[in-house]
Amino acid sequence: MNISDLRLPARRSGAAAGPQRGSFDLPFFVLTLLLLTIGVIMVLSSSFARAYAQGKSPTYYFVRQAAFAVAGVVVMIFLSKVRMATYRRLSLLVLGVSIFLLAVVWIPHIGTRVNGARRWLSLGFTTFQPSEIAKIAVVLFFSSMICTYKEQMQTFRYGVVPFMVVTVIIVGLLMLEPHLSASIIIMALAIVMMFVGGIKLSYLLVGMGSAGALLLFASKFVPYVHKRIVSWRDPFADTSAAGYQIVQSLYSIGSGGFLGLGLGQSRQKYLYLPEEHNDYIFSIVCEELGYVGAIAILILFALLICRGYWIAAHSPDRYSFLVGVGITTLLSIQVFLNIAVVTNLIPCTGISLPFFSYGGTALLMQLGEMGIILSISRDIPTKKAR
Amino acid sequence: MANETSGRRDNRVPFRASTKTPNIMMLRRTRFLLIVCGILAFAVLGIKLFNVMIVHHEEYEKMAIDQQVRETEITASRGAIYDTNGKILAMNASVDTIFISPAEIANNKEDPQLIARELSEILDVDYNKILAMTKNTDRWYEVVKRKVEPDVSEKVRAFKKDNNLTGVKIEPDTKRYYPYGNLAAHVIGFVGQDNKGLYGLEQRYDSYLTGSAGRIIRATDNRGTDMLFVNYEDYYDETKGNDMNLTIDATIQYYLEKHLQQAVEDYDVQNGAAAIAMDPNSGAILGMVSLGNFDLNNYQKVSDKDQEAIDAETDPDKKAEMLTAAQTKQWRNKALSDTYEPGSTFKIITLAMALEEGVVNENSSFYCGGSTNVLGRTDPLKCWKTTGHGSQNLTQAIQHSCNVALVQIGQLVGARTFYKYAEAFGFLNLTNNVDSNLTAKTGIDMSGESGSIWWSQNTFYDPENLSQLAAASFGQTFTITPLQLITAVSACVNGGYLMKPYVVKSVVNSDGEAVVSNSPTVVRQVVSEQTSATVRQILEQVVGDPVDGTGKNAYVAGYRIGGKTGTSEKVAQDAAGGAKEYIVSFIGFAPADDPQIVILVLLDTPSNSTGIYISGGQMAAPTVGKMMADILPYLGVEPSYSETEKTHMDKTVPNVTGLSVEQAKAALAELGLQARVYGDGDKITAQLPGSGAVVANGSTILLYAGKEPSGDKETMPYLTNLSYETARDRMAALGLYIKTNSSITDTASQKISGQAVAAGTELDHGTVVEVTLVTTDSGMLGRY
Repeated sequence: MNISDLRLPARRSGAAAGPQRGSFDLPFFVLTLLLLTIGVIMVLSSSFARAYAQGKSPTYYFVRQAAFAVAGVVVMIFLSKVRMATYRRLSLLVLGVSIFLLAVVWIPHIGTRVNGARRWLSLGFTTFQPSEIAKIAVVLFFSSMICTYKEQMQTFRYGVVPFMVVTVIIVGLLMLEPHLSASIIIMALAIVMMFVGGIKLSYLLVGMGSAGALLLFASKFVPYVHKRIVSWRDPFADTSAAGYQIVQSLYSIGSGGFLGLGLGQSRQKYLYLPEEHNDYIFSIVCEELGYVGAIAILILFALLICRGYWIAAHSPDRYSFLVGVGITTLLSIQVFLNIAVVTNLIPCTGISLPFFSYGGTALLMQLGEMGIILSISRDIPTKKAR
Repeated sequence: MANETSGRRDNRVPFRASTKTPNIMMLRRTRFLLIVCGILAFAVLGIKLFNVMIVHHEEYEKMAIDQQVRETEITASRGAIYDTNGKILAMNASVDTIFISPAEIANNKEDPQLIARELSEILDVDYNKILAMTKNTDRWYEVVKRKVEPDVSEKVRAFKKDNNLTGVKIEPDTKRYYPYGNLAAHVIGFVGQDNKGLYGLEQRYDSYLTGSAGRIIRATDNRGTDMLFVNYEDYYDETKGNDMNLTIDATIQYYLEKHLQQAVEDYDVQNGAAAIAMDPNSGAILGMVSLGNFDLNNYQKVSDKDQEAIDAETDPDKKAEMLTAAQTKQWRNKALSDTYEPGSTFKIITLAMALEEGVVNENSSFYCGGSTNVLGRTDPLKCWKTTGHGSQNLTQAIQHSCNVALVQIGQLVGARTFYKYAEAFGFLNLTNNVDSNLTAKTGIDMSGESGSIWWSQNTFYDPENLSQLAAASFGQTFTITPLQLITAVSACVNGGYLMKPYVVKSVVNSDGEAVVSNSPTVVRQVVSEQTSATVRQILEQVVGDPVDGTGKNAYVAGYRIGGKTGTSEKVAQDAAGGAKEYIVSFIGFAPADDPQIVILVLLDTPSNSTGIYISGGQMAAPTVGKMMADILPYLGVEPSYSETEKTHMDKTVPNVTGLSVEQAKAALAELGLQARVYGDGDKITAQLPGSGAVVANGSTILLYAGKEPSGDKETMPYLTNLSYETARDRMAALGLYIKTNSSITDTASQKISGQAVAAGTELDHGTVVEVTLVTTDSGMLGRY
């Protein structure tokens, strides 16, 4: 394959490059803002006890998250105005940058080591995870490749090998950090992209089969994975160490009942539940807003995701379509994995909940991704245009 | 691929080349994704959430609340214990618990070594022990020391403040405090570290005294501090423990202990001693002592003697065993937990039943030739006086404590009647099982009461063998508790009514309402008023008759006292072939015509080495006499002295300082005191002893006329077996003085059997030493 092939579409991509684009998809935009607003409020509710205990202002986390949310909305609107052709042009660059950054985490002072893992890059005023960029890079670049290879996607050589190579590079770098959850997401994302891109289902099944076998192997023979499996099966066997976090999460969620304790009334956030405003924020949501609130939020997410697929499917452009499916699937995977973890549906792994979990740059990335979907939505021909 | 492409809906983007738009397979696969990622995934999550939030809601909520809620107990203050006059016997003092929070020490980066060093210094706790505690950084509560006195915890507070330490904490607690230390220790009992009653009334009435703890329930964060903005608090008030009023009179108790302790020292009593004072008209226990006793404020501590033995032992297991044994022994209340053969004191009971049955009267006569044959015995049963008492009337037989006469009286009563009365007096309960040994208890409201042991009815009633009845008639071959004896004797002298003994007068709650109220309970009338009066008269002769009374060492000048001696051989010891050991006792009551108090003293195994004849008459009787001499004036019983008694009485030294020498001598002479003058001044400038001191009649007072007392010390001599006069003079030569609580009936024949200050002690001039007197005429020396 030729690098220049990948850059091909440039400014030539038909309607997407045209000067007049429609307005973005309002339902998608509104759903995003709705989730974002609830998310930011929940950061306030879940974090103040921790902030206070740390000697910070009780609104410390909230103020920062809110600021990033505002910035994120601006970014989202800005990115919605960027044409899809531009994204396709930039996709290789983005991939290159993300691989570069995944390597940079190993440079002292820039890469930050937290709990024995190098997942963070320090920018001085804030930190971010290059894996966030890797995810969108995979979406953008895979979409581009799929568009390039067209019918060749059915072949092993074009439909599997290049994708495998990129995936192995990125996942390899992630596993070095190590960052299991991001690896899982990237792999899932890669599989979904290839699946939608049109590879043979037999390859896919073989691939998924071997991935499953690998996972089974890891769960039995890789000690730290095995440990997680054990505590997933019976978190109450060791409520003070291995099972502590998940048990506290279950207490929190279980306490919610049908109607919840009321907004701000969580008791588990008082230093019982770790990561209560990050990965486990949904537990606090359940505790405070109850089953009713939790289901409402799940429905909002589901609607957003369905709308995302709808936008993708209605895109007149294959690249836009693929990017739309990729981003939407990425969102879905993250939401699912996060909530599945906090409810102990699957073994514990650190995945944040989009729009909810505290974390400025991740929020910016997520809103940016939503911006790209909005950009796609602008190209959908309205009835009037037809 | 071509098929898929042709399937596209051309109307959507008709102007696009097929490879530029998503093909039909892509859309189909997207639809699949939408179903899986957009709907199924969320459905699964919704079901899982339903399971956690609705199905398991209650169980998770309960577990969550369990960890979020902290209960703080507010200890209810324990009720106080008062004596019959409202003197506080047990109360609460504020103390503190000092604990550390290793987690906070670690979190706040406080210096564990500093903390360990300072706390070790202030609290006298091992440095390494505290340092080890600080290492348990997941713990929030490690007690360094409990029951810390306020002045000490104040130092900890200062240290905490100076160094701004959050990890050192002080928590209020209460400590049981017994103002009188070991007074009535066995009755009151003690509490453990947790303020729960462990022994004595503290244990038996624990539920009344404890009250109920209050609770504060509050929601806290994981560090134990209150949750912000969450109002979840619940209060349950504590209820103060009830106060308890005893029938014990601290003053009477004090006199019992003082004189009993003195007796234990004077007679070198080996196996402890007991004394009980009872109000015969109500059954109320006025005092109850068991020696050796212990300090309630430090109940684990054993006597110095025991401690020495423990210290000498090297094997740690044996050490612990010895400590436990010593503690168990000192905590045992001999007055109601130990049973013994009462011996001659029981003759009161035989007398009372015989009079009540009418088988004897005051004119009955009995002959004692020193021994008597008893049906069923191979050898004759000997009287303590083997030469015999000759012919005696009933009063004399009791005065002499004649065993032969009592055997005769017992046989007149008969075995079945004897047991009927024994049951009526509360010594045993007759059962349908004629082969089993018999037992009974008084049912006093104290723990640890033992039951008596009597022969089975079959054995006792055996018409072919009267030896059991014969021995029982003078108090042998059965065992009873001291409490049973005093209760029965009280019935004999109070008009015939067996009272149920009790020690708790009332339990009063914080509103002043009586929760428990005990009033005198008549169990039954055992003998008539008339019989009781006769018993009193006869027993008064035992003490009051200066010639025939075997109990005359209990006489108190000015008072009418009745009583009976007792000396019993410890059978087990005898059987083991060792030296004979005895329990000597005396039971006395006063005033003889209208008893207000009955006192029983029991000395277990006096030593053979004191030179004092071992018998109830020589040891226990004077002890009871001295107790009576203190207690009767306290009870307000008016004395009436005979002229001789007045003369022999100890004298109170008047103030003669400032008088002329002549005047002073005259003033002393008028009281029957002599004087020795130092210096040649005209006026008395000092006197020894000072005014108000009580000294023996005829003592020589030291008068100083212009000369200062020398300030020399003198060595206390050994006075035992000297007569009162001889001892007085020997002491006077040293400038020392004696007085006695015993009654002085005959200064020449009464001998000293005990002294309050041990021989060899260095004493100042003018010191007065209290001594015990006994009459030791040869006819008196016997195991009666």
